[in-house]
Amino acid sequence: MDIEAIKTQIESEIQGVNSPQGLEEFRVKYMGRKGVLAQLTGVIPTLPVQERASFGQQVNALKEKILLIIKEKQGSLSGEKLMTQKGSGCDITMPGIARELGRLHPISQVMDEICTIFSRMGFSIVEGPEIETEFNNFTGLNIPLDHPSRDAFDTFYLKSNSKLLLRSHTSPVQIRVMKSEKPPLAAIVPGKVYRPDATDASHSFMFHQVEGFMVDEEITFSDLKGTLGLFAKAVFGKDIKMRFRPHFFPFTEPSAEVDISCIICKGKGCSVCGRKGWLEILGSGMIHPNVFKHVGYDTKKYSGFAFGMGIERIAMLKYGIDDIRLFFENDLRFLKQF
Amino acid sequence: MKVTYNWLKDFVDIKVAPGALADKLTMAGLEVTSVEERGGDFVFEIEITSNRPDWLSVAGVAREVAAITGKKLIEKSHKVTKSQNHKAEVKIEIENKKDCPLYTAKIIKNVKVGVSPEWLKKRLELVGCRSVNNVVDITNYILFETGEPLHAFDLDKLQGNAVIVRRAKHGEKITTIDAQERPLNTGILIIADERKPIAIAGVMGGRETEVTETTRNILLEAAVFNPAVVRRGRRSAGIQSESSYRFERGVDLEKVTCASSEAAGLILGLAGGDLTGARTAGLAKSKKRTVKLDLFSVNKILGANINAARMKSILKSLGFKTSGARNVFTVKVPHFRFDVNSPVDLVEEIARVHGYENIAMTLPRVKPKPRLGEQPDKVALIKDILTGLGLNEVITYSLMDKSLLREFGMYAGAEALEVLNPLSAEQEILRPALIPGVSACVARNLNQKQDYVNIFEVAKAFGLSGGVPSEELRLCIALCGTKSMLLDRGVVKDTAGFLQLKGIIETVFERLGLKAHDFRPSERPSVIDILLAQEKIGMMQKLDQPALARMDIKNKDLFVAELSLERLLFYYKPEKKFSRLPAYPGISRDISLVIKEEITAGQILETVKEEGSVLLRQARISDCYQGKQIPAGFKGLTISCLYRSDERTLTEEEIEPLHSAVFKRLYEKFGAQIR
Repeated sequence: MDIEAIKTQIESEIQGVNSPQGLEEFRVKYMGRKGVLAQLTGVIPTLPVQERASFGQQVNALKEKILLIIKEKQGSLSGEKLMTQKGSGCDITMPGIARELGRLHPISQVMDEICTIFSRMGFSIVEGPEIETEFNNFTGLNIPLDHPSRDAFDTFYLKSNSKLLLRSHTSPVQIRVMKSEKPPLAAIVPGKVYRPDATDASHSFMFHQVEGFMVDEEITFSDLKGTLGLFAKAVFGKDIKMRFRPHFFPFTEPSAEVDISCIICKGKGCSVCGRKGWLEILGSGMIHPNVFKHVGYDTKKYSGFAFGMGIERIAMLKYGIDDIRLFFENDLRFLKQF
Repeated sequence: MKVTYNWLKDFVDIKVAPGALADKLTMAGLEVTSVEERGGDFVFEIEITSNRPDWLSVAGVAREVAAITGKKLIEKSHKVTKSQNHKAEVKIEIENKKDCPLYTAKIIKNVKVGVSPEWLKKRLELVGCRSVNNVVDITNYILFETGEPLHAFDLDKLQGNAVIVRRAKHGEKITTIDAQERPLNTGILIIADERKPIAIAGVMGGRETEVTETTRNILLEAAVFNPAVVRRGRRSAGIQSESSYRFERGVDLEKVTCASSEAAGLILGLAGGDLTGARTAGLAKSKKRTVKLDLFSVNKILGANINAARMKSILKSLGFKTSGARNVFTVKVPHFRFDVNSPVDLVEEIARVHGYENIAMTLPRVKPKPRLGEQPDKVALIKDILTGLGLNEVITYSLMDKSLLREFGMYAGAEALEVLNPLSAEQEILRPALIPGVSACVARNLNQKQDYVNIFEVAKAFGLSGGVPSEELRLCIALCGTKSMLLDRGVVKDTAGFLQLKGIIETVFERLGLKAHDFRPSERPSVIDILLAQEKIGMMQKLDQPALARMDIKNKDLFVAELSLERLLFYYKPEKKFSRLPAYPGISRDISLVIKEEITAGQILETVKEEGSVLLRQARISDCYQGKQIPAGFKGLTISCLYRSDERTLTEEEIEPLHSAVFKRLYEKFGAQIR
């Protein structure tokens, strides 16, 4: 028999095999007790002695080849079975098995994201205490004790010591950092703040802010605009528009409120932005010389900018959440969405 | 505050449409929150920042409109009646000029009080003010137009010949025009006649002396009161008015006389009568202020390139007068700009009118001073480990109800930090521990039909340390209920317990390289102390009945842990050391024991480690069993022991006696039987 002819025959025949039964028939035909290979092996003793060795080698090679072909076919057939058949083997449409991961609170996620953006710009993350002195929370920040501007920072005081309060913003950390360090400095301050507001869908007596500030010899208002411009694009996307509106904060001069184009209506005007097309997201400005005086900085030499934003507000805009209380109810069905 | 488009047109020739004007005002710092078309006019609602009392009037906003649209302000001229200079029969006494720097009164006799003309009614109505009668309406009209609050008294209702500006006496009372009787105190500044209070200064007039249809003769007050005093009076009286709103922010002393004359003129015109006399007490003029402005510094702060001429014209349009050399201006501040005291205030004015949008966006040249490995990074790492273990982060309030402390078995309220001005019982104290808040959060989720709640919080707990309020960053973990996991052989249930809690905390410790940790039963029942390097840094607890009842948790066990992150991080050392991988294979041998139930795994492991030779490298519990095959009061425990040498491959023969010795020791010490 011509071994080469058999090889060619095998190769064409295996193409036609497309079921396990067909493959079994194929196997029996070639590898069975009375199969082609058995017949070939049976031929060997009848050959002249000098041909036996080389013929035997060819038969062995053929055997290896058939085994390999069968194995490959088995593999491709069982693969097809996985795709088309259920029941036996694995039903890949069953739920995967894994440990469920927990989630960080959406406020933490947004706060981390903001801190990371500023860290990459060279700001270091600093935290401060939640119980503050009246000086750090107000006086040092150029907020006079008996002035209407204090109304906006309505405050919880401690019973035991009325000079101590729960910070009503993260800005007192500016005072702490500047008192302990000399410029240049750039810091980002995440944290909890407190104001005695009656709780409703948009007010909470406890909320979170991120404060940022930078002080050096040549920091300008245009630097503030550029820095916050980068930030807004990083958080809300490249196409976001931004505007700086003059505003008043006792601790900055000039001061600016920063709006972004409404992320819901893209600036056309909708119920979220109150038909204005703009959403207010943060307050900012150049640090007031009086603040520098309180911390002993040379107001002729140094300038700096500061900004602060409410994290709940940004998270609400980002995720489309319409009630601030959801953040503090901590319903797992809410938390697991982020 | 509301102003109308047509009213503004009395003062400026406005060429831009209402919508465009609103945008311009917003971008100049007068945020227009709405524009509403009403009765042929447009009503602008504007948010005025607290530093700009001069914008609290139509005239003030008009000045800004003129500046930003490049138009001239139309100044109104005032007719001054001669009789204004006649001494009125009523004297004015000011107790303290600090409380009231200026008080003026005009006497108008024989007025005919009645209905206001339509134009007056309409303007007032558009800015949200109810029409009362012509005299009262005129005082309000002048208030909205000029920002100078006025008040008219019924002269015939005043007792005696003097109007006195003084602090109220203890026990005095007044019934204000809103018909409320209000007790007064010595902190409140009042206007009084010779007998009793007739107005709360700058806040609201008294009902008895108000101008009504029967009024014939009036006393028209125009004055300036100390902002802080008005604020106090408004707060303790608990009323707010258009007047108090303006006095608190500051009223322009220089305009008082003008406003008063204008009002008097309107009254004579609309209600008739004769101006028979006037009186003035106190200061007539405010202090003149100048500020030196270095032009270079303006552009330096702004990062802009605004030329001197532009700066000058901006300042001029806002009422500032500039003079001086090329690079330094001497700027005269107009009397109505209380907010301008230093060069940087002028920088803002220039930037504002120039347009913030016309200032470039640049990036600062940062000289980085990075702080590496600070606490926030480590806390973030811990949070990541916890979420990796399937826990969900919660954020609960830092303030809590004091009465919760008792049920949670915490120290008495004396040491709790109390809030002076809570809005409700839930805000009474700063929480001394996170457990109550986190437990409430578990209860809430159980209520929402969650079978399994696994949460954590990282937040501050508050207390007193050496009499001084202090705060400490803590971690609280809570586990409750049963988690069902569908594996390929069916459902496996995992019920929350101490060991699950311990496993989570151990994982945090191990990941941070904190090896010397220990969990020990505390003296309190159901409480286990958590130790690091022998220091107690926290505890875990199965919440007991009173606390569960308060939280309204039924038929479930709640396991909570709370530990000090500050103490934990104190022991954290990030250095890690490589240990060489074993060169020779080890031999693992198990011992399965039956021991008395009360013998702990810890005792067994300790004994195994003591007894094991140097070749015993590791011993761990690999199984624990109680059930049918084990007699009651006993438990089955399997310990896996790993023997290994660094010098050679060990043989079974070598291990055999060592392993038997371990078992022998366990038998002697604990009566352990082979299972």
